[in-house]
Amino acid sequence: MAFWFYRGVRKGIATTRYPSTVDPWARGLPSAPGFHAARLTIPLVDRLVGECPAGALTREDQELVVDLGRCTGCGRCLELGTGAVRSTGEFLLATSDRAALIKRVPIRGDREASGGG
Amino acid sequence: MAVDERGLELDTVSTELRRRALRLFGRSLHIRTVDSGSCAVCESEIRLLAAPHYDLHRLGFFFTPAPRHADLLMVTGPAVRAADNLLLKAYDATPDPKAVIAVGACALGGVYPEDSLVHGAIDRVLPVDVFVPGCPPSPLALLQGLLVAVGRLEERVGALSLDLDAGSAG
Amino acid sequence: MTHAIGALAIAASAGWLAAAGVALLGGTRRVGLGACAVLSGAGGVAAVVCGVLLAVHGAGTTLHLGAGPVGAATFRIAPLAAPFILLLGLVAVAIALYGPRYHEPGRGTAMYLAVYNLALLASLAVLSAGNVVAFLVAWESMALLCYLLILRHHERPGVAEGAFLFIALSEIGFLMIVLAFAILATQTGTLDLAGIAARASRVGAGWRSAAYVLALCGFGFKAGLVPFHIWLPAAHPVAPADGSAFLSGLVIKLGVYGIALFGFVLVPGGPAWWGLVTMGFGAISAVLGILYALMERDLKRFLAYSSIENIGIIVTALGAGMTFTAYGQRAIGVFLLIVALYHTVNHGTYKTLLFLEAGVIEHTSGTRDLDRLGGLIRRLPRTAVICLIGTVAIAALPPLNGFVSEWMLFQGLFQGFRISSHLVGILIVIAGALIALTGGLAINAFARAYGIPFLGMPRSGQAANAGETRQPVAGPALLAGACVFLGIGAPLVLTALDRVARATTGLDIRSELLVPKLTVIPAHTDFSGFSPTYLALFLLAITAVPILIFLAGRPRARSRRPPVWDGGILEFKPRMQYTATTHANPVRVTFEPLYRPSVHVERASDDPAGRSGPVHYRFQVTPIFDRYLYRPVIRLVRALANLARPIQSGDVNLYLFYVFVVVLIAYAVYASN
Repeated sequence: MAFWFYRGVRKGIATTRYPSTVDPWARGLPSAPGFHAARLTIPLVDRLVGECPAGALTREDQELVVDLGRCTGCGRCLELGTGAVRSTGEFLLATSDRAALIKRVPIRGDREASGGG
Repeated sequence: MAVDERGLELDTVSTELRRRALRLFGRSLHIRTVDSGSCAVCESEIRLLAAPHYDLHRLGFFFTPAPRHADLLMVTGPAVRAADNLLLKAYDATPDPKAVIAVGACALGGVYPEDSLVHGAIDRVLPVDVFVPGCPPSPLALLQGLLVAVGRLEERVGALSLDLDAGSAG
Repeated sequence: MTHAIGALAIAASAGWLAAAGVALLGGTRRVGLGACAVLSGAGGVAAVVCGVLLAVHGAGTTLHLGAGPVGAATFRIAPLAAPFILLLGLVAVAIALYGPRYHEPGRGTAMYLAVYNLALLASLAVLSAGNVVAFLVAWESMALLCYLLILRHHERPGVAEGAFLFIALSEIGFLMIVLAFAILATQTGTLDLAGIAARASRVGAGWRSAAYVLALCGFGFKAGLVPFHIWLPAAHPVAPADGSAFLSGLVIKLGVYGIALFGFVLVPGGPAWWGLVTMGFGAISAVLGILYALMERDLKRFLAYSSIENIGIIVTALGAGMTFTAYGQRAIGVFLLIVALYHTVNHGTYKTLLFLEAGVIEHTSGTRDLDRLGGLIRRLPRTAVICLIGTVAIAALPPLNGFVSEWMLFQGLFQGFRISSHLVGILIVIAGALIALTGGLAINAFARAYGIPFLGMPRSGQAANAGETRQPVAGPALLAGACVFLGIGAPLVLTALDRVARATTGLDIRSELLVPKLTVIPAHTDFSGFSPTYLALFLLAITAVPILIFLAGRPRARSRRPPVWDGGILEFKPRMQYTATTHANPVRVTFEPLYRPSVHVERASDDPAGRSGPVHYRFQVTPIFDRYLYRPVIRLVRALANLARPIQSGDVNLYLFYVFVVVLIAYAVYASN
């Protein structure tokens, strides 16, 4: 009994301090993908849309629509769109408005590649 | 009593009043988890909430097995049609004011499209108050969802932009 | 007054005799049934009034009938018989109210009712017998008439065996009773019961003990003490409902009357071991009775075992009373006699009620099997309420009569420390502990016996279709009212019983039994006390508290009333409920060494679970007394009979040889004179 008491005292409080601070190891959790709009091209976006298994990515004309509600954090878009897609580290995504989870990213890669400022 | 298009009796109080009522529960909220056909990984994360590391009790949340004692229903799974009866009965059995949290990508419409076996999203069956994305959502995300539901934390995702070049472009 | 008592007894007898006649002549028509019931009920009322007057007045009356081969038959109504006569009358009235709606007119019913009324008459004769001859003749008539009673539906399975067991064991008991009376009669030189009582002190101690033990065993057969009980669960369920009610409500009490007669009137003041043996029989009967009751699925067999349990309680009270008296604690001894008589009346009341209602249940839902009943509270509301009163009474819950008499029994038993011998005191307290165990098990058993048939959902189509429209209600309702009165009005009842006890034992404990303000105390003011009347009033008043809280604290807004939360299943099915078997499972597992069950499990195939087809599970309690006590005795008797068979070989020449030998012997004997 004494052993467990000293062990506990030595290790200190194990409980997380959330919501006052977020644990540092949470940086490595699967999180929402972020996109460099300047590096997105329509063929790339179409490939990404085809690869996403949860149906979170769709393309509407010149915009990539990301439904964060459907994203499962599988990471296929990160792998495929190297350079264009990066992990944002945001995993605290709760909301009362379903529409707030639908984000739009303009596809600007084509325009910049084809010249013009 | 008013009835919405799903045939569920609407709360007699408006949504805002309901949120205020839920804020009253903020220090003592009873949660009942309902599984509408999930793979149970969300349940594993929910179960961790009661463990010493996350400890939802210190925030004033408690799990209860009886919907009669619950203030909030935490629903997982893609709303399999065979679970309609269960979801509606659990919702009916929970006294007002109550809230529903939909947890996980399945519950929010991802992974399973709507077809003959599955509704696809919880909000096609029940009125959902808070959505918690993730697959599964980390217990920290679940805690955030709960605190948002009772109004102790502000939502963050509204201001989130996924366009990493937003600052630089026009 | 004494003339009134005698006149009432004769009026009751006449009523029942007339009822029997009317039944024989007119039982094939409904009018005849009604007339028979009226006469039977009138006889019952006369008996009730007779019993009450006898208890209050405290003195008996004598009647001599004509001379027979063994002398005149004397009928003397002694005060000890007062509670029994009262019970007889009450049971007769209740069954008379019940009968017309239960029986269908016909030849079988006519014979049955005639036999039943004659059995009532015979019981009254037993209770008022004044000499040995009258007693024995009345006893045997009563036994034979009850045998015919049980055989009403003789073509049905189990009836013949049940009736046979009844009469066979009754005859064995009768043999012992005859021997007991014979010992006393020859030792005291008189056949008159009062005469025997007066000269009992002249009989040698050995003869008295022999007489008492024979009487205990002989009357124990009739009363249903363990191990003489095996006929009860076989015979009581197969009789018609009112027959079972009569048997369980009254006839087994005649056995108790016999034991009390010997222990307190004919050979009173016996040594302590008489009381201890009696108490031992009683306590074991009580525990085993209720334990076996819990394993029963048949409602009437369950009630039969419960009767064994209650007889055990009554006999424990008698035995403990005798023990206390033997050690000089006469006040407690008389107190326990009063408890025994009180519990006799109480048990007669509620057991009759329960058997009559079991008849209604069987009639309306077509089955006695607890696992096929359910939800009857909605289909048979009045029956449910009356049955609830009877169940609360028999489970000894306050404020009804069962609670008062069992409380008094415990208070008496727990005063064992007042006895000088520590061992005996401890034995008495152990008996108290065993009775406490039965009390707890009885609550379990009756929660099961009421809850499974009445509450929940019907477990079979028959139960779902039960209807109450033409079922008898008045008879059981009368008994329910009697239960309430006997409980709340306990001070009145105990006053009367005290007079009975004073007339029987010579000791008046009224001042140590009832103190002012309607409080009952167990013979010593410093031990304990409570008032049944005030308890009832208190319970009524205290139920007002939650009602007031509810009325004051109700929410003003309209409440939503969703259905009961069932876990989200699609539909509640009756097979999801507890069954009677599972309700008693904890008891079965705990007492498995006693039940020694044989369990058979049969599967249609060995496929994994879910595809193996129906599984049959059969559980059977080992009938210990049947197998290890009666069968060996029967085998022994058969073996002896086989040994003796050559004597009756059928050979005429051998018979002539016997005649020759006997003539030689006779010649030799007479020649030598």
